Amino acid sequence: MAKHETPLLDQLESGPWPSFVTDIKRQAETKPVCWDILGILELSYKDRITHWKHGGIVGVFGYGGGIVGRYADVPAKFPGVEHFHTIRVAQPSSKYYSTKNLRQLMDLWEKHGSGVTNFHGSTGDVILLGTRTENLEPFFWDLTHDMSQDLGGSGSNLRTPANCIGQSRCEWACYDTEEVCYQLTMKYQDEIHRPAFPYKFKFKFSGCPNDCVAAIARSDISVIGTWRDDIRIDQAAVKGYIEGKYPSNGGAHSGRDWGKFDIEKEVIGLCPTKCMKMAGGELKINNAECTRCMHCINVMPRALRPGKDTGASVLVGAKAPILEGAQFSTLIIPFIKIDKENEFEELTEFIEKVWDWWMEVGKNRERVGETMQRIGLPAFIKVMGLDAIPQMVKEPRSNPYVFWADEEVPGGFERDVQEFRRRHAA
Amino acid sequence: MAMTKEELKVKILEKAAKSPKPQLYIKDFYECDPEAKPRDVKNVANELVRESKLKFWSSGSTTMYALPSRIKNEESKDGI
Repeated sequence: MAKHETPLLDQLESGPWPSFVTDIKRQAETKPVCWDILGILELSYKDRITHWKHGGIVGVFGYGGGIVGRYADVPAKFPGVEHFHTIRVAQPSSKYYSTKNLRQLMDLWEKHGSGVTNFHGSTGDVILLGTRTENLEPFFWDLTHDMSQDLGGSGSNLRTPANCIGQSRCEWACYDTEEVCYQLTMKYQDEIHRPAFPYKFKFKFSGCPNDCVAAIARSDISVIGTWRDDIRIDQAAVKGYIEGKYPSNGGAHSGRDWGKFDIEKEVIGLCPTKCMKMAGGELKINNAECTRCMHCINVMPRALRPGKDTGASVLVGAKAPILEGAQFSTLIIPFIKIDKENEFEELTEFIEKVWDWWMEVGKNRERVGETMQRIGLPAFIKVMGLDAIPQMVKEPRSNPYVFWADEEVPGGFERDVQEFRRRHAA
Repeated sequence: MAMTKEELKVKILEKAAKSPKPQLYIKDFYECDPEAKPRDVKNVANELVRESKLKFWSSGSTTMYALPSRIKNEESKDGI
């Protein structure tokens, strides 16, 4: 029996698609606090303003992240959501769950919270929506002691690192994304659980340029698998695709007749760097010009594979649209080996160098990509000890001035004024 | 660091007490010891939280520090 009239929300159930309103009503049958979620949301729709206060001081002892305080500003009307804190639970690598683990997690959330969840937040955590302050510590105890799971990151912390399924199931993964994600999560526990930075900071690990975790769009440091030798070609399989023996894109478009496979139109013509051609009945690739977009490999997976000399590209500075708009991360290191033997030293050294610089010069609530934009890419790569490469150039210059540093000018800027005056009298 | 950890703790608490803003970002504490590395200042501030001398306040996307007596407490009826 509904506790509040919700005519505006009820409209959201009238479409052909699933509705969160229906889900919450169903949950309210066993968790009556959920009626108050619907009530406060209906009021927000009516008043056209949120009725959640902003943030709070809640957390669990020893942690400075993982809990997001949420309080209603109309608690007398909706006592069930007076406190409605969010808990972020770190997801397992690649989001592999056992059904037993999911049942345990849901039982725990039914016991300590509203039972409402969001699988998953955009960082990757399991988001548990709605509990009271006094339930936080008992929940945290059960989560860590009975399930050996941990809270994720929030606030000005390192957010829960995320990775694609990597080599566990994908033949294109150029490095072991699960291993590096796990090891860096363990190494940077302090940064995940306690605020360290001017603002949020995210890592994401994708095994190949298909970038299934959207690292390039969403993470401050994107580690994207790549290779530096040649794409492996099975010419017999290329012929097989041309003859129609194998479906293109692994059969992903097989639900409709798209006509005969045309390698010129569907692969060679779509190559962004025009580095492919058919010659003598064979596919030829000018690998020096390949930009590793993965399109040809995606279309003909039986015929083409990434090279064998694999590693990753490291990009910095992606973010969502707050402030100056969304931006992709910028390529900073074209290739590094991702090596478990040395505990990913090359990568962690770079990460810590970025952090040290950003903590020093980044403004409050400024993502590292915004700091790079403000200070300038030349200054950033200089601090990182890297040389500029053509891949970092986004567009032709619009500023006609060239600024040289003292050390870049032969003899520097120091001049003997008397020597100058001997030649040019004042 | 130009000062000891204990001296830095005192400076941070002084700053948290006297600043016109009741809640401060971690960067606001850097000036307590300009020679200290940001990471050292962060570690000392977080130690003060463990000692219950400072508290975290988080919006969910960013985190601030404050003395327990000055923090914006959303659980009080009217807040600060």
